Amino acid sequence: MSELTLQDVRKSYGEAKVIHGVDLAVKDGEFVVFVGPSGCGKSTLLRMIAGLESITGGDVVIGGEQVNDIAPADRGIAMVFQSYALYPHKDVYGNMAFALRHAGEDKAVIDERVRKAADILGLQDLLKRRPKELSGGQRQRVAIGRAIVRDPEIFLFDEPLSNLDAALRVQMRVEILRLHQRLKTTMVYVTHDQVEAMTLADRIVVLRDGRIEQVGTPLELYHHPENRFVAGFIGSPKMNFLSAERSGDGTTVTTHGSAPIEVPVQPRDTEGAVTLGIRPEHVGLVAPGAGDLDARILVAERLGGETFLHFDLGDEGDFVVKADGAATHESGETVGLSFPPQALHLFDAQGAAFAPRDRNALIG
Amino acid sequence: MSDPVTDTAKDVRTRRKRRRSGGLHIVVFLAPAVLIYSVFSIYPLVESLRLSLFDGLEDGTAVWAGLENYATLLFDPNWATQFWRAFWNNLVLFFIHMVVQNPLGLLLAALLSLAPRFGSAYRTLIFVPTLLSVVIVGFIWELILSPLWGVSETLLGTIGLAWLYQPWLGLESSALTTVSLISVWQYVGIPMMLIYAALLSIPDELIDAARVDGLNGWSIFWKVKLPLILPTLGIVAILTYIGNFTVSFDLIYSIQGALGAPNFATDVMGTLLFRTFFGQQLQVGDIHMGATIASMMFFIILVGVSIYLALVQRRLQRYEM
Amino acid sequence: MTETASSHRARASRLRGLSTRAGVHMVLAGYTLIAIFPVFLVILNSFKNRRGIFTDPLGLPGEGTFSLEGYATVLTQGDFATYFSNSLIVTVTALFLILWLGAMAAHALAEYRFRFNTLLGIYLILGIMVPIRLGTVAILELMVDLNLVNTLLALILVYTAQGLPVAVFILTEFMRTLSRDIKDCARVDGLSEYRIFFEVVVPLIRPVLATVAVFSMIPIWNDLWFPLILASGDATKTVTLGVQQFIGQYTVNWSAVLASLSIAILPVLGLYALFSRQLIAGITSGAVKG
Repeated sequence: MSELTLQDVRKSYGEAKVIHGVDLAVKDGEFVVFVGPSGCGKSTLLRMIAGLESITGGDVVIGGEQVNDIAPADRGIAMVFQSYALYPHKDVYGNMAFALRHAGEDKAVIDERVRKAADILGLQDLLKRRPKELSGGQRQRVAIGRAIVRDPEIFLFDEPLSNLDAALRVQMRVEILRLHQRLKTTMVYVTHDQVEAMTLADRIVVLRDGRIEQVGTPLELYHHPENRFVAGFIGSPKMNFLSAERSGDGTTVTTHGSAPIEVPVQPRDTEGAVTLGIRPEHVGLVAPGAGDLDARILVAERLGGETFLHFDLGDEGDFVVKADGAATHESGETVGLSFPPQALHLFDAQGAAFAPRDRNALIG
Repeated sequence: MSDPVTDTAKDVRTRRKRRRSGGLHIVVFLAPAVLIYSVFSIYPLVESLRLSLFDGLEDGTAVWAGLENYATLLFDPNWATQFWRAFWNNLVLFFIHMVVQNPLGLLLAALLSLAPRFGSAYRTLIFVPTLLSVVIVGFIWELILSPLWGVSETLLGTIGLAWLYQPWLGLESSALTTVSLISVWQYVGIPMMLIYAALLSIPDELIDAARVDGLNGWSIFWKVKLPLILPTLGIVAILTYIGNFTVSFDLIYSIQGALGAPNFATDVMGTLLFRTFFGQQLQVGDIHMGATIASMMFFIILVGVSIYLALVQRRLQRYEM
Repeated sequence: MTETASSHRARASRLRGLSTRAGVHMVLAGYTLIAIFPVFLVILNSFKNRRGIFTDPLGLPGEGTFSLEGYATVLTQGDFATYFSNSLIVTVTALFLILWLGAMAAHALAEYRFRFNTLLGIYLILGIMVPIRLGTVAILELMVDLNLVNTLLALILVYTAQGLPVAVFILTEFMRTLSRDIKDCARVDGLSEYRIFFEVVVPLIRPVLATVAVFSMIPIWNDLWFPLILASGDATKTVTLGVQQFIGQYTVNWSAVLASLSIAILPVLGLYALFSRQLIAGITSGAVKG
C-alpha cells in the first residue's frame, strides 16, 4: 500500500499563500513528475509530502494513513536532494547506512541492504570513499543509494539532476527510469525541465503559482494541453502562438491575413480574441503562396539532424519552424507556411483550450 | 513475506510514529546563550546606566540624583578637567591610529596582495605582536625605551641618530604619542588582515579586465581595488574607534599606571573610570560616578557608531562580488 | 611597431617589475623586522645575566653572559604554575562555553523561522559594539551578590558573555550558507533536531569553530581588566595579572623581569606557530569579513 493522496493541500507563510489547495491521487508504483517554472510551488509541495514543511490546510495521506503531523522519518518516504546532501564526514557506506543505524537496525541487515543497493547502482568499489573524493554523478548515485537502502514506500526526488552537466543528466535519467522499472516503487519527482518530465513520468503534474494547471500522461499533455500555459510549457522548442479572429460558427479562424482555417475543435461560446497554437514540428514548408501564410526567414539555425527556421510574424514574437536537417532554406528567403488542421490548438482570451473534436486523435 | 530484510524494516517503521517536532528545541538551543549574555553583559550595562542616575549616601543607601552626576562630570571644575582631558586624549589616540595604523595596514595588505614570495611568512610574523597581551607589550616597550637600558639609544646610534633619543614615555609632550605608536605597533595586524582578506575577495577577472582596459598596477589599485574595499575600510575605522576606548586602558595602566603618568598626560577614559570606581591615593572609590563615566563612554561610542551608520555606511555601497 | 621598439619596451617593463618587487620586499621585510625585533630582544636578553643585558643588549648570550638567573628568580618567587593553570582553566572553559552555546544559538537563528528571530539576532550581537567593560561597576556588584568574587567562575562567566556576540555573529553568517538539503535529509533519516545539530551541523562548521576559537582566545588570555577587578587574589591570578604584578615588585631585577615576560610570551608564540595557518586561513576565507 503506497498510494499517495493530497486532499485540498494548502500552504501559506503568514499572509502569503504559496499552495492554493491541491488535490492529487498517485497510484501505487506510479512515477509522477511535478513540473513548472521556478517559484511555482513544486518543491514546497514535495517538502510538504516529506513532512519538511508544515501543512496549513488539507490532508496528506500515504498508504491510507493521514500523515500531516507525523515526523518525516516515519512517513515511509526517502528523499533525494538537489545538492545530494551527503554527510561529508562519513564515507559512502556510512552515508548509506546512516538512517538504518540510527533506527537501531541489525548490523547484518544493514550490511546486506547497503551492499544490495551498491550493487544496483554500481557503487561496490566506492564504499570506503568520502563524498569529496567522488564525481558529481557518483555523488548523485550515492544519494539515490541512500534512499534505496531505506526501502521506502515512496521515493521523493527534488530536482536531483540539476547540478549535473548535460551528458551526465541524460545518463542518470535513464538510470532512474531503470531503477523505477526494477523497484516498482511509487516515485514523486520534481523538476523544472520539461524534457526530464516527459521522459520519466507516467503522469505529469504541471504547476503554476501554487495551483495545478493540468495532470496527465506526457502524450496527453503534448497533444491536448488544456490551456495556453501547459501548451507553451510542454514541448521544445515551445509552441508558436498567433492571434486570430473567429468567423463562421466559431471554429473557423483567420490569422495574419490568411484564408479561413477550419480548426477541428468543439464549438463553444466565448467572448474576445482567440489564439491559434501550433508546434514548430507540425508546420509544413511549401512554396510561397501555396500555404496558409507567407513569411520571410530571419535566421536559420542548422543543427545537422534538423534545422530551426525563425520567422517574425509581428505581434507574437519569435515563430519557429522545425525543418529537416537537409533543408536548403536561407535567411531572407520567403516561404509558405502550411498548418495541418489536426495539429492546431485554439485558446480563448483566458487561455483555456477549446476541447478537440476527437480526443484520441494524435498528431503524427 | 518472502523477504525478511524488508519485513524488519517495516517492523521498525510501524513500531512508533513520532510527531513532527514542536518549537521546544529552538528554546533549548537559544536559552543558555541568551541567559548568560543577558545576565553578565546586558544587565550590567543597563544597571550601570541606572546607577549613574543615583547618588550614594554615607550609610550606603542610594538616592535618586537624576542627571546630577552627569552635570558634575561635565561642569564641576574638579571633574570636568579630568573628563575633558581624558576624552581629548582618547580622540588623539583615535586620530593617531587613523592616520598611522590604518594607512600602514592598508599599505602592508596591498603589498601582501601582490602575492610576493614569503608573503605568508611576512603576514604571520607581522601578526605576532597582536597576539601578545597588552601588558607584555607595554613592558617590552617600557624596557626598550628606558634610558636605563639604553637599547634605543644604541640602536639610534647605529644609524647616527643617537642625539634624537629622549625618554619619550616620561615626557609630558611625547608620552601620549609614544603610547599610541606602541598600540599601533601592536594592532596594525588586524586592519592588515581585514583589508588583505577584502583585497583577496576581488575577483581576478575584474583585475584582468582593468588591465585589458589599459590600467597599470598603480591605477588599478586606486581606481578598482580601493573603491571595492571601502566598506572594509569603514569597518576598520569603526573598530578602531570602539577599540580605542577599551584597549587603551590596559596599555596605559601597565606602562603609566592608573594616573596616566606623567602628570595625567596619558590619562584616558578607561583609566579615569578605573580610578574613579576603585579610588586612588587620596580619592575614595565612587561607584555612582564610575557608572556615570562608563555611561558617558557608552554614549560616546553610541554617537560614533550612529554617525558611522548614518553617514558613512549608507554612502559606502557594498558591491556584490 | 618596430622590432627594436618592442624589445626595448619589454626590457623596460621587466626592469620596472624587478625594481617593484625589490621595493615590495624591502617594505615588508622592514616592517616585519620592526614587528618582531622587540619580542626577539626580550627573549634574547632573558637568557643573559645582568652584565650581559646592560653591556651588550644586542649580542647573543654567550660565555660570561649566558645565565638562567632570571628564570630561577621567577620560578622561585612567583607562583607561575598556579597563574598558568588559572589562565588555562579560565580560557579553555570560557572558550568551550562560547563555542558550544554560541553555535547552538547561531544554529537556531540560522535554521528556524520563529517570531522575533531577527530581533533576537540583533540583541545577541549588540555586544560587538558595546564593550562589556562599561558594565564593570554592575558586574562587580553582581559578583559580590553571587559570592563569586575571587573565583575563576566569575571570570569564566564574564568572558563567555563577552565572547558570545562575535561567535554568534560569525557562526550565524556561516551557518546560513550551509545546504538546507543536508539537514532535511537528516530529518528524513529520523534524527531529532538535537542530533541534527551535534551530528550533522557541528562536523560541518568545525573549521569556522577553530577560527572563532582563536579569535575569542586572544582577548581572554591577555585580559588585564577583569582579573584585576574580579579575581586579583593570589589563588585566582591569571598569567597576565601575575606578570604585571610580579614586574611591579621586581622592577630593578632586570633578568627576572625579562624572564617573566618571556614566560608569558613563549606559550602564546608556541600556540600561534601551531595554529597560525588555521587562523590566517580563517580570516582570509572571509569568516570575519563583516
